[in-house]
Amino acid sequence: MGALLHQLAALLYLGAGAAAAVGLSWPSRRLLRAGTGMLAIGVVVHGSAFAVFHLEGAPPPLTDLSATVSFMAFVGVLFFLALEWRMRIGALVAGIAPVAAVSTLFAALRLPHVVREDFGAGAYWPHAHVLLASAGLSFLGVACLAGLAFLYEDRRLKAKRPARGVRLPSLEALDRVNGAALAAGFPLLTVGVLTGLMWNHAAQGRLFTGHAHETLSFLAWIVYGALVVMRFRSYQVMRQAALSAVGGFALLLVAVIGVELLT
Amino acid sequence: MRILLAGLSHRTAPLELRERFAVSDPAPLLGKLVACDEIDEAFLVSTCNRVEVAVLTRAPDAARARLRQLFRRDLPEGGALPPGVELDAVLVEREDADAVRHVFRVAASLDSMVVGEPQILGQLKDAHRAAVACGACGPILSRLLQSAFATAKRVRRDTRIGERPVSVARVAVDLARQIFEDFDDKTALLVGAGEMIEAALEALRGEGLAAVHVANRTPAHAASLAVRFGAAAHALEAVPELLLRCDVVLTCIAADAPVIDLARASEAQRVRRGRPLFVIDIGVPRNVDPDVNRLDGVYLYDIDDLAGVAAANAEERRRETAQGEAIVAEEERRFAAWLSTLQAVPTIRHLRSRMESIRGRELERGLARLGLDEAQRAGVDALTRSLVNKMLHAPLTRLREEAEREEGFAYLEAARVLFGLDAPEGGEDGGAGGAHGSNESSPRDGRGGRGGAGGPGGPSA
Repeated sequence: MGALLHQLAALLYLGAGAAAAVGLSWPSRRLLRAGTGMLAIGVVVHGSAFAVFHLEGAPPPLTDLSATVSFMAFVGVLFFLALEWRMRIGALVAGIAPVAAVSTLFAALRLPHVVREDFGAGAYWPHAHVLLASAGLSFLGVACLAGLAFLYEDRRLKAKRPARGVRLPSLEALDRVNGAALAAGFPLLTVGVLTGLMWNHAAQGRLFTGHAHETLSFLAWIVYGALVVMRFRSYQVMRQAALSAVGGFALLLVAVIGVELLT
Repeated sequence: MRILLAGLSHRTAPLELRERFAVSDPAPLLGKLVACDEIDEAFLVSTCNRVEVAVLTRAPDAARARLRQLFRRDLPEGGALPPGVELDAVLVEREDADAVRHVFRVAASLDSMVVGEPQILGQLKDAHRAAVACGACGPILSRLLQSAFATAKRVRRDTRIGERPVSVARVAVDLARQIFEDFDDKTALLVGAGEMIEAALEALRGEGLAAVHVANRTPAHAASLAVRFGAAAHALEAVPELLLRCDVVLTCIAADAPVIDLARASEAQRVRRGRPLFVIDIGVPRNVDPDVNRLDGVYLYDIDDLAGVAAANAEERRRETAQGEAIVAEEERRFAAWLSTLQAVPTIRHLRSRMESIRGRELERGLARLGLDEAQRAGVDALTRSLVNKMLHAPLTRLREEAEREEGFAYLEAARVLFGLDAPEGGEDGGAGGAHGSNESSPRDGRGGRGGAGGPGGPSA
């Protein structure tokens, strides 16, 4: 049932992305609103999928990549909807919904075959690590999306090309989304890294095991730390902040998901 | 019952000619029009882009001639057409569906010089109010205009025809909205004090900026503008300092060297910590070094850039007109259906009256023979009335329904032939008749007056 709900959520996300993309290019504000509505329904179904897994007594371990990715999509969409409610950034549904759809579909196909792991006495560290780091990653993903939209709009305005279809949010709004996502995502990522260290310590008696995931994640965390300082101490102009959000997230993706897939 | 429309617009007549036909007070002209026997209702709209008159008539040929006379003699300044102007070359005449469609297109701003401009709807509403106030606009033309207003609203709601600005000043404000989310914490600097600066101040007035500064070579001119628009006045020398705290800068000043060069803008951006700066340079020669656009966070648009965006917006509006035309066609069909049902009203009334007349005569004849008391007479009266009503119900309902369709006319004609409505009343049984039906309007017997929807005309009119 949980996997079925995952598939349904993926379908809703896909529909939301399609409606928003068509709404943007046609252009039709109604379709854009429909896209946001479908995204909201999708996130409810997605949340229900997790609840059903727990009610059935067989929740997939969050440490599995499919569960992690699904959880990231869920938190990311939830965070995006919270921002959309305050900042009128509905046009970005066209960006976030397809990513959420692919992530959720991947989880829906893989979750039924996931084998549960026994983490022994320190079982809460792995879960705390995945929950917090995934949430941080989701928020920073939203910052990346806003950064990409900012770079596109900045380039268009500099080139003096008229906007086609429904317009993206203003540069200032995109920068605010970027800043809010970074402000919320970095602390979560920090706690995620710390709990990861604790997991290592609980499982193997040492903080670092030398795994590429740890090294790259720590490197990404340092980079993000520098970006946060630069951004919030006003050392960066909006465009640089957008570039940083995109670059930082790309590094994080390699560190977290890329390494996981390659090893 | 026909709707005729005649007029000239920006499509057929140049401004200098349209000016000569402009009407400031339409009441006397409308009064004259509806005083003619052949015209039942009329309204007139006069704007800088069009002078058009619509009338409701039962005698189209006479009404057409009257309208031509209006444009030949009554409307032109001086009581005659300007020399060298041929009325046929500038006057466009439309009838019925074509006239209705035109009114709808005008209201929806599909026929405007700047497609999608919103003023025309207000001007049409004013024209309607004026025509109603002087008693020239009755139920049919009022319904036509109300439908036109509803169509215009629908077109505006369902298409993006009015979304993109097409004037330079509005384009600048629209671009600023693509950069800034809110204006209430933003400051604008306008360099110059000419007409363009004044137009820009006008456009910015309603945007809720935190502060507006005007800098000019002659501070007195800046001060005079500043007082009018609630801005602060400065000398031109204050521009570098003002640049540090302003978010929107508009320049239009005669200057040989750039007022804002790359070094000055670069320094300003450093102090401003890269906050976005939107610079609009409409000066010729340009007042801002074009290289300023290369700086991070600076968006520089000159007059050609703005004109390019305005042209693209106008093109986008034109693309939306297809959807607007579809809405107009749909609403036009709806109005035509309503108008058709009106055509059935005289026939239905006539048929009813004829049946009632026959019933009355036959009842009178029968009662005289039967010798019934009062209660029995009332009973028979009610019975016959009920019979007639029941027998007429189905055909009359069908007639009303069919009247909405194109082929409805054939049904109305058939009803008239089958029930002998065009024959003298009472002819079928040799009776004198006429008493009951004499005060009903025949479909061919003239006007029903301006007060009743079913009054004017008949199916064959």
